[in-house]
Amino acid sequence: MRIGFPHAGNVYIPIKSLFQELNVDFVVPPPNSKQTLSLGVKYSPEGACLPFKLTLGNLIESCELGADTLLQAQGFGVCRLGYYARTQEQIIRDLGYDFEMVNFSVSEENKLWGFLKLFKRLSNDAPWSKVIPAFHFAIAKLNAIDEIEKAVRKVRAIEVEKGTANRLLKEALDKIDQTSGRASLKRIKKDYFEALAQVPQDHKANPLKVGVVGEIFVVLEPFSNLDVEVELGKLGVEVKRTISFSRWIRFSFFLNPLGVDEWKKVHQAAMPYLKRDVGGDGWESVGEKVLHAQDYDGIVHVAPFTCLPEVIAQNIMPTTRENIPVLTLICDEQMGKAGMMTRLEAFVDLLERRRRQKTRAAIR
Amino acid sequence: MKEIRQRPRIGIPRALLYYEYYPMWKTFFEHLGAQVVLSSPTNRQVLAAGSSRVVAETCLPVKVFMGHVLSLVGKCDYMFVPAIRSMEKRIHNCSKFLGLPDMTKAAVPECPPILEPDIDVDKGKRELYQAIYKLGRHFTWDPLKVKKASEAAWQAHQSYQAQMCLRGQTPLQAMEEMFTAGERGIGEGKSNFSFNIALIGHPYLLYDEHVNYRLLPRLEEAGARVFTTEMVDKGELDAFVTKLAGGPYWTYDDEVVGAGGYYLEREVDGVIGVVAFGCGPDSLMVDIVQRYAKKRSKKPFMLLTLDEHSAETGFLTRLEAFLDMIQRRKKIKCA
Repeated sequence: MRIGFPHAGNVYIPIKSLFQELNVDFVVPPPNSKQTLSLGVKYSPEGACLPFKLTLGNLIESCELGADTLLQAQGFGVCRLGYYARTQEQIIRDLGYDFEMVNFSVSEENKLWGFLKLFKRLSNDAPWSKVIPAFHFAIAKLNAIDEIEKAVRKVRAIEVEKGTANRLLKEALDKIDQTSGRASLKRIKKDYFEALAQVPQDHKANPLKVGVVGEIFVVLEPFSNLDVEVELGKLGVEVKRTISFSRWIRFSFFLNPLGVDEWKKVHQAAMPYLKRDVGGDGWESVGEKVLHAQDYDGIVHVAPFTCLPEVIAQNIMPTTRENIPVLTLICDEQMGKAGMMTRLEAFVDLLERRRRQKTRAAIR
Repeated sequence: MKEIRQRPRIGIPRALLYYEYYPMWKTFFEHLGAQVVLSSPTNRQVLAAGSSRVVAETCLPVKVFMGHVLSLVGKCDYMFVPAIRSMEKRIHNCSKFLGLPDMTKAAVPECPPILEPDIDVDKGKRELYQAIYKLGRHFTWDPLKVKKASEAAWQAHQSYQAQMCLRGQTPLQAMEEMFTAGERGIGEGKSNFSFNIALIGHPYLLYDEHVNYRLLPRLEEAGARVFTTEMVDKGELDAFVTKLAGGPYWTYDDEVVGAGGYYLEREVDGVIGVVAFGCGPDSLMVDIVQRYAKKRSKKPFMLLTLDEHSAETGFLTRLEAFLDMIQRRKKIKCA
């Protein structure tokens, strides 16, 4: 049995670690590339959304590398995600590959238990004393990645030499990927926090704060949003984002079952404009706009083309009383970097002018 | 003297779920003493007005819906826009149906107060009854009256569905017979059909004659007897959903995957799938039907994608070519 799985941001690092610790044979599909996308686009129904096309590309590339067991998310939400696995299974079978599709649920109540049981099964019934520490270590890696990314987002905006923080991030990701000891993971984290603090920075700069919200896959997969975070950083903008996989896991695996509602504040903020969960991340997009209207300078809303929940958010966002500029970037295979850059630059110009006007008004 | 209106007027847009639940809604509101105002059939102005209010990416049926809401503004005291999350356990509706009331508020700020019951059968009977009672409270304080109204409504829905299933009627025919009984005899229409065509897709695409360029009448004029989802028993549809897709996920799996699989195995000469551009559920469901048509069945299958830009001529050319092909196949078979 050889397992293949789709990419979603840096999530391959913890998954890889989990399989390594459990001695499961696996392949990591090549990182998302033009090739992945064109494979996905070629075999997907034309109206499918970008995450569908990219993950299909990943799964086909895994099969080419010899995978015979494919992992895909599934669930009973209201977005298309719940239909991915069954459609992709038929598409890949029609391409002539022989494999088993294994689904893990992202919506049911006992997500954690289901996930653990699935990995126990995949690891040929390894004892719990192995599965649980392996799972724990994978989560530690995921948390480390997200913490370092968070620090990087701050440095990127004000670093003197653009690109330094990004280089450090790449190094850190490689090291985290390669390490297999808990102590060394801690050390890597500490080292890179220090390295990031030492990057020459313009501490007097007061960078614009822009929130990145939207559909979780395109927010977290840089290939699908054409590196919007890095590009904003290059323009001297501090990116704020609350969506991350470590947060998702922390809440939906551990805290939600204990009755802590991950998004309560955000949902309450959205209430006057959108009263109910519409699946995906549509409710959260609206809520984040309302909630952060005061503390952010602007919001970049990324969504896949024809994403059901985000279309609703996109329709509702302009009508909120809380006034903050929102730039919606629709991501699909037709999206071009130059076009996105032009829009981002214009957006940042607008935010700067808005801030100047505000300070002028305050002085008067 | 100020006129006091006794009966509140409820506006129901002739779009989306109207085709499935209108008899039920109408009966419910009329039993509670309200008056139901239905928008007129879609036309170009309705669609243009609706499209102008929402972002371009929004799917065609929602644009049509907004157009109907706009056409009802000023003609009613309440707008009925339910947020229907699920009609069965574990089977959900598309996000658009959930966000519909809030989207309507955002897109049509001048809309009269919206009646927005949360229908979520997945949450259990209790929640459902509470939602219905809450809806009824706009008209009466008497829970018994609401109960009676909802029972009558359910009965109307049942007889509506039975009429379509047993007598092979489309929703439009069934509704006409229900509400204008006696005025106009519903003949069986033509009986000399030369071939059979099955249509699969959402009712709001198949029966809205503006968005699909009179597809049904056109097919009948061309000599085709048309079969639709409503004419099939639900149990059989579910069986095909399980066979093709492994089990239902959307409420509409029946009308696309189920009906698709069912008709591809039946004595029809061809199957036409009608979808809206940008429809999330359709994009993946129709793919499953198409694959099944290609692999397992020798039946011709054509997919028509509708949006507000598609031109009638292009649409007709494809339709004619498809029908020609079917007739030729029939001739070859007979010979």
